[in-house]
Amino acid sequence: MAASPTSPWARTAIPWVTTVARLVLGGVLIAAGALKIGNPADSVVAVKAYQLLPESIAVAVGYALPILEIVVGVLLVVGLLTRVAAVIAGLLMFAFVFGIAWAWAKGLRIDCGCFGGGGQLGAGQEPTYLLDILRDFGLVLLGAWTARFPPGRFALDGALGLGGDTHHDGDEGDD
Amino acid sequence: MGKGERTKTQTQSAREKIKAQQAAQRTRDKRRKTVTYVTAGAVAVAAVGLGWWYAASISRSEEATGALAPITVQPDGTAVMAQSGVTKPVVDIYEDFQCPACKELERVSGQTFKNLAAEGKAKVVFHPITIFSQEPTKSNSVRAANAARCVADGKQWLAFHDLLFKNQPSETVEGFKPDQLLQWGTDAGVTAPGFEQCVTSNKNAEAHLAYSKKISDEQKLTHTPTVKLNGKEIDNPVLFSPSQLRKEISEAAK
Repeated sequence: MAASPTSPWARTAIPWVTTVARLVLGGVLIAAGALKIGNPADSVVAVKAYQLLPESIAVAVGYALPILEIVVGVLLVVGLLTRVAAVIAGLLMFAFVFGIAWAWAKGLRIDCGCFGGGGQLGAGQEPTYLLDILRDFGLVLLGAWTARFPPGRFALDGALGLGGDTHHDGDEGDD
Repeated sequence: MGKGERTKTQTQSAREKIKAQQAAQRTRDKRRKTVTYVTAGAVAVAAVGLGWWYAASISRSEEATGALAPITVQPDGTAVMAQSGVTKPVVDIYEDFQCPACKELERVSGQTFKNLAAEGKAKVVFHPITIFSQEPTKSNSVRAANAARCVADGKQWLAFHDLLFKNQPSETVEGFKPDQLLQWGTDAGVTAPGFEQCVTSNKNAEAHLAYSKKISDEQKLTHTPTVKLNGKEIDNPVLFSPSQLRKEISEAAK
């Protein structure tokens, strides 16, 4: 990686960018989880519609996914365990990109079920795979940024001194 | 030993002392951080686990409690499951053999319907319909529904119904093929001589589609599964939670 004689400007800007990335990624995750958590059956059907996972695993994922999204989203928003949360969020989004691409490649006609709903589309509806993939890929990048430059401003990690990279003196070195 | 030298030694030892103190402080800080980190991580993992457990527990299916209530296959293709003399509350289940959400309903709440009927707490009516308008799902659904109409015995009908959902094909391929349907019929205990011809000729297809259209219009069905309790639709969160479903139907039985 590049050495770190970062300009003062970058030193100020980077934590703020991280904060924005955290809020966007965390906010999306919380919304996605909250819209699904009230109805585990829908969530299970949405996961099964991808025809990607074996029956029993699809059921477990359907039950676990909404709460996982909410917890990781909250961690990102408050900036606690920022790096770990960002890595999990990034991997989740990457898995979604893969799943949607899979459905597309297989010629399935499904709703991604990203924000509730999901399953087979009706007669008049068209899948929105490209849009879903671009959105989720953008969120992968936000996750990668946050994992690289945690925890940003207004983060509990900072307040608790768990700050990793942005810890002031001493650990100037890159990872 | 000169005076100056002593001062130097003192300064040195003081410096070392401070250094040692700083090192100890760093160790304490590090330990505190680790504890905070691990605690936060444990709480997060516990929250996920708890939510997962909760989702799984509200969807937990009932166990089979005993013999089924008598089942009667009607001329219109529906099947009534009720103890004799039980006429209410009426639970109407509108479902499509090809619809994944219906399969999920059967997986989660199917046993609850059976138990409630067996306990004499409800009259359950199964209405197989075809909600799909596109291929291959439409033909899959019609073939399955036709085959169900070929089963005259109630007990065999319900066993066949369960097998159809259990073996539901993907929505992207041709499924519910005649030889599969015949096999599941045998598995369900169907021995009637006309069954094979009835399945392969698809002879009930038109009657099924006509009933499907008629009941969908009458009941204003927009999606499957739709389950109505005394004519009023049961909301999904209740429908897919066996304990809440039991409570709602039992209360209507009073």
